[in-house]
Amino acid sequence: MINMRLNGRVLVVLAIPLLAGIAACGKDFLVEDPKNIITAENLYTNLAGFDAGLNAIYAQVRREHQGRSGTNELFQEPFILGTDIGYANYVSTTERIFNEWGIRNNSTADVYNDLWLWLYQIINASNTIVGRAENPAIAWSATDKNRVLGEARLLRAWAYRHLVYSFGPVPLMLEESTGDNIRYDWQRTPVAEIRAQMEQDLLFAEANLPLVPPNDGRVGKAVAEHYLAELYLAMGDPVKADTMASRVINSGVYSLVTARYGVKRSQPGVPFMDQFENGNVDRSQGNTEVLWAFLYAKGIPGGGASIMRRYWANRYYNNKGVAVSEENGGRGIGRMTPTRWSLGIYEPTDDRGSYFAIRKFYLYNDSLNLPAGKKLGDTLKTRILARQKINDALWPTTRKWDYTDPTDINGDEGYKDEPYLRLADTYLLLAEAQLKEGRPDLAAPTINIVRARSNASAITAADVTLDFILDERAREFMGEEERRETLIRTGTLLPRIRAYNDTASKTIVERDTIFPIPQSVIDANTGRVMEQNPGY
Amino acid sequence: MRAPLSAAARAQFRTTIRCSVFATTNLPDLMSGTRLRSLGRLVASLLVAAPAALVAQQPADAQANVSGVVLNDANGAPIPGVAIAVKGTSRGAMTSDDGRFNIIVGSLQDTLVARRIGFAQVTVPLDGRSTVEIRLHATAVALSEVVTVGYGTQKRSDITGAVGSLSAEKIAEKPTANVTQALEGQMAGVNVTTTGAGAESQMSIRIRGRASITASASPLVIVDGLPYEGSLSEIDPNDIASLEVLKDASSTAIYGSRAANGVILVTTRRGKAGGPPRITYSSYAGTQHIANLPRPMSGAEFAQFKCDRLSGGTNCATVLTATEQANVDAGTYTDWLGLATRTGDQMQHNLSVSGSQGGASYYVGGSYLDANGVARGDDFKRYLLRGNLDIKLRDWLTLGTSTNLVYSDRSGMADDFSAAYFMNPLTNAYDANGNLTLYPWSEDVFWGNPLANSLVVDDNTTKRIFSSNYALVTIPWVKGLTYRLNVGGDVARNEVGNFWGRNTQTGFSNGGQALTSTSARTNWTAENILRYTRTFGPHSIDFTGLFSAEGQNYTVSSLRTDGLPNDVLTYHQPGTALFYFPDESVTERRLRSTMARANYNYNDRYLATVTERRDCASVFTAGNKCALFPAIAAGWNISNEAFYPFRNWVNLLKLRTSYGSSGNQGITPYSTLPQMDSYPYVNNGATAPGYRPISLGQSNLRWETTNALDAGLDFGIRNDRVRGTIDVYSRWTRDLLLNQLIPPQYGVTHIVNNVGRTKNTGAELELSSLNARVRGVEWRSDFNISYNRNRIVSLLSNGNDRGNQWFIGMPIDVNYGYKFDGIFQDAAEIAASAQKTAKPGDVRILDANGDGKIDANDQTFIGSTEPKYIAGFTNSLTWKGVQLSAQLQSVQGITRSNDLMGSNLVQAGVRRNTIPHEYWTPENHTNSYPANNETSNPLSVPFYEDASFIRLRDVTLAWNLPDAYTSRIGADRLKVYLTGRNLWTKTGWHGLDPELDAQRSIPLEKTYVGGLTVTF
Repeated sequence: MINMRLNGRVLVVLAIPLLAGIAACGKDFLVEDPKNIITAENLYTNLAGFDAGLNAIYAQVRREHQGRSGTNELFQEPFILGTDIGYANYVSTTERIFNEWGIRNNSTADVYNDLWLWLYQIINASNTIVGRAENPAIAWSATDKNRVLGEARLLRAWAYRHLVYSFGPVPLMLEESTGDNIRYDWQRTPVAEIRAQMEQDLLFAEANLPLVPPNDGRVGKAVAEHYLAELYLAMGDPVKADTMASRVINSGVYSLVTARYGVKRSQPGVPFMDQFENGNVDRSQGNTEVLWAFLYAKGIPGGGASIMRRYWANRYYNNKGVAVSEENGGRGIGRMTPTRWSLGIYEPTDDRGSYFAIRKFYLYNDSLNLPAGKKLGDTLKTRILARQKINDALWPTTRKWDYTDPTDINGDEGYKDEPYLRLADTYLLLAEAQLKEGRPDLAAPTINIVRARSNASAITAADVTLDFILDERAREFMGEEERRETLIRTGTLLPRIRAYNDTASKTIVERDTIFPIPQSVIDANTGRVMEQNPGY
Repeated sequence: MRAPLSAAARAQFRTTIRCSVFATTNLPDLMSGTRLRSLGRLVASLLVAAPAALVAQQPADAQANVSGVVLNDANGAPIPGVAIAVKGTSRGAMTSDDGRFNIIVGSLQDTLVARRIGFAQVTVPLDGRSTVEIRLHATAVALSEVVTVGYGTQKRSDITGAVGSLSAEKIAEKPTANVTQALEGQMAGVNVTTTGAGAESQMSIRIRGRASITASASPLVIVDGLPYEGSLSEIDPNDIASLEVLKDASSTAIYGSRAANGVILVTTRRGKAGGPPRITYSSYAGTQHIANLPRPMSGAEFAQFKCDRLSGGTNCATVLTATEQANVDAGTYTDWLGLATRTGDQMQHNLSVSGSQGGASYYVGGSYLDANGVARGDDFKRYLLRGNLDIKLRDWLTLGTSTNLVYSDRSGMADDFSAAYFMNPLTNAYDANGNLTLYPWSEDVFWGNPLANSLVVDDNTTKRIFSSNYALVTIPWVKGLTYRLNVGGDVARNEVGNFWGRNTQTGFSNGGQALTSTSARTNWTAENILRYTRTFGPHSIDFTGLFSAEGQNYTVSSLRTDGLPNDVLTYHQPGTALFYFPDESVTERRLRSTMARANYNYNDRYLATVTERRDCASVFTAGNKCALFPAIAAGWNISNEAFYPFRNWVNLLKLRTSYGSSGNQGITPYSTLPQMDSYPYVNNGATAPGYRPISLGQSNLRWETTNALDAGLDFGIRNDRVRGTIDVYSRWTRDLLLNQLIPPQYGVTHIVNNVGRTKNTGAELELSSLNARVRGVEWRSDFNISYNRNRIVSLLSNGNDRGNQWFIGMPIDVNYGYKFDGIFQDAAEIAASAQKTAKPGDVRILDANGDGKIDANDQTFIGSTEPKYIAGFTNSLTWKGVQLSAQLQSVQGITRSNDLMGSNLVQAGVRRNTIPHEYWTPENHTNSYPANNETSNPLSVPFYEDASFIRLRDVTLAWNLPDAYTSRIGADRLKVYLTGRNLWTKTGWHGLDPELDAQRSIPLEKTYVGGLTVTF
């Protein structure tokens, strides 16, 4: 009945899927082979891989001058707003916290969650490098390895520095995170223990980093010493702080900018502000003072974008007849603003309080909307009122971050390099150490080095108090200094806010001197109750 | 001598053997586990015990022998499986394959009763005859339908699982551009939600609630046997022969690893053997109108609002910018939403030919769809060609294909509704020359023109081939044994070209910006199916074995360029750009499966199904790649029993039950690897490559598994005048794959993890009835309602996980946060509250834990985001050829935050518009909305509303023209119809639409369509 030819064909037809089936049975059929994904396994195999890991951390650190979400929510805000030197003029949700405190300052606020995550991202990336550098299969010199470790450990210490100042005791993480070591029963490590780790990390960095890093965007020995000086001050060891700060000052590599230089040297200006000009920031551009800068470039991957000008420049264009222009400082949204007090602490001769450093007037430049009696080129003066107010388009601000992309006047992003750590800071840390060592006679000349550069009058040992040094820091580092952290280190946050910040003085309470542990951290710790800071 | 094998070599050897054997049959693998042995025993006992029980009923005292044949009265074909009973006795017989039967009766004056599901019961007095011919009349009852199930078809009456079905006729009743729309409100347990409106609406389908909340809570869609990805809008509803929804574990288990969220089977039309060519042309055209659009404030309202908010209503002149003031002075303002919308239109033409020629039958269809939504620029065109062929080459060999060629054109960028909603009305859309302004508000250049999308060059086309092909071999040596090879591919390529010229904000600030991207998807499937079907007397056996492999590859490459020399060449000038941002991604996944299923049917009374599937997926780590998914089901056609007494009343009664498991591998490929993200820095103006950790390696990730128990009852009353189905079920999901928040100090916020167990319980009812037939008017109703309750049973942590908002005993997806508790009216109320520093008019936040202060511990549940009940109710009136039908759909028990109500959305300084609200004022002590200032809602407490609704989804008036008319134009059939969609909605929701995800998006449309279908 069934003929053989038919059977033969059936067999042939049946054989085809048999073969297809075997193809799907290959040993690798179910093995994932990602084609364009880098993993820790295939990245950390050589020096270039480790440097790529470090580059990503630098890009993360740079976010302090970038937005938490796009061009919004400047990461620097919590370090400056709601202190003696900064308040929010134009407010959104986050800024209101630091103007109003109270119910708004609570553990569910996004800013704390973002701050925490950002810093631990840096820590995890550093931990990954530190852990994987010990892989014996990597062929590299001891110098290269220790330099990589030094940078990673310094950046880890940098992140813990922010964490401890912001939140107090936090979990001390020193190992690479993996999906298999997740715990839900974290406890907060005491600050002293974290600082001991930071000290070890920074000392290692000091011993292994080059005196001058390959570019200003990376950290070298001086940065390690600077942060060691600050750490020792925080730990109550002014002698060691003195030693470390002095090493930076006496390194022979860095010196204060005392004379005009760079791109605008032939235009009116002051030496102090030259180091903030686009084209002047880097060491290779003539800046002798910068220890560490944030680098940017327009239009390339990794180029980044600062929103410092966007956040610090005021909304002067809300004044009729004054439009956004490069001369007027570029387009700002006035979220961050110097306090009334901080604008009034300059001697008339002080370059740091001059028109070149602080916006004193805008130029009328909008012919369509000129107010009666004004003509193009007239000036609209800023002014300081008896009390700070919000939504004030005539409040002065710092000019350090002024920058306008000439091809995009209204753009939000900034692409000029920015000084992040300057030698002047090291001088004032030294002065603080000297004061703590009971040597105001040494502190005064140290402070005077900084003051003299800006034509401020010389002071004497009798003038040197902690408050004076803090005032001096306010004069020198408006818009730069992580002010809140300085005040926490010196234990002066609450009194100085009450004395100097009209906006926040009435509502700030003891609780607000430390940020709440983010609710996301407490909630995720399902295996143990993580203690919240008092009062929250 | 046998050489000793190492353990590894033995394992290797076993794998090889298995694989090669499985290429044709997978029995040994499936039978290898002890679990299988026990299942096997169960089948065996069913096979043996059931008939044994029945044999006992056979009569012993024979008096006369009657033989006969049962034929279909429509075509004279013999009907097998008809139950013949002797009235008043327990004697019975069943017709054989050729419709014949023999029965022993007490006397030749007895009466025979013949019945079979799908046919009207017939009573035949013998009147002395010993041979009879019985003719049965088919009733158009669902239970006689053949329905598609996984890897095959079954008679409805033989099905043991919970399977919903939608016929081509039902689909054709309403004109839809997207097949998903046809499912709306039609089946119990199937919740179709329009998550985004527009020319090509976005819809989500949830079957029996939500078991998992990974990306893939969506059901698996199988088109003509092949897994289908992406929007169902790339299938022409006209081409569909039937839609089946597999709901319970028994019917879904054969799809194993991806079936935990249910399965939708789409079967396209095929040519019928033997018929003449049949040509069908159908067409419709219609208009679309906005169903509901909450109105933002007008210019005058906005000016007053801004003045009230910023200066307490006193000093209005100081708060407005020059542009705003100029518009106020001129009494003009811009209705941005009005400018962004239009009357939409849509039309479709479809032409198909089906028939057969020689040994080949064919269905060829082509269609053109052109839809232009109510949002300006929201356009969708679809060109589609389908060829379905079946060729019987030899007695033992049939080849076939279902191939769909699609060209979709989504070019055109819809206006940005969010921007239009928010845009200040006191600004200018057009300049003096009638061109769109670059910056409508010159004092606040953050805002570009919300209408600028109309200036963007947007070319967006997709070409897709979806082809499912088979070879069917009837194995000649064994009767009833067939082998089927399915090989299919889905190849799609999407190309997008965008250009933002200098007349747009994006283009202006970047010196022109272009974006081109190409994404290519290549999915392939190969399946070997061995099927054995035999009937031995009253026993029917249907065995299916499968070995299959699948692969998916998805590649996206894109290039953004900034700084282009001119606006003329748009995106066709990448070589001249100043800045380049290229990107690429490749993802691949693989799946290998074996499956076996046995169906057993005794005498159309007792039904059993046993299934086992083993899936191995590439996305899991070694050791966790494979999982087993067994299922078992049984059915009892009670009304086919000879002893069944209520035939006159309840003509059909069938019990079904099933238990089994299915899985979910819905995680993205490479989820288990410690991935790094490109995160470069800069060095001397050049990119310095950088990579940072973004996900954590996971070595233990496992399949998510759902075990489900289903019990169902199918019934027909009064000769199927009322037909219905009741199902109750429980589904237990374990190793739930969730994207879990972990302590953020890991530097990574989420990890995909097997985090716990959930349970879904639910009940479903479907009813169809012929309510009345009076003077030629027929009134029919179809009603379905389903209830589903979802809750978390356990989590990784011992208790609740507040960070992830997972709470034991609560649904997976809840609203959780600070709760609005009214408005502070006076100082006394404030003093007694947890917000001592509040002012009258401020939002009162619920002090949920009553501790006298407001903090994170006061966050609380504010309702579920998943509905409790969904229901559909369709009524139709037919008179001669005229039919009027209306469908109501109801979704109840959802709570959502209505973003349009947000009180701080206008931003400080009032830079955005909002809808008018009734604010608290010292004169108007409302308790529902705070005072109009920036501090009245300090924690920005959202406003939750009940998003339940009842909607008149569809009203259709159709007329099938009488033959007298159709014959004049030589047509067999001509139908014309008018349809309205979304004509009426009842809801307490105050946003754009309770169904839509975003409330500042393209609004839902009311659609009016007229169309015709003519068949030659």
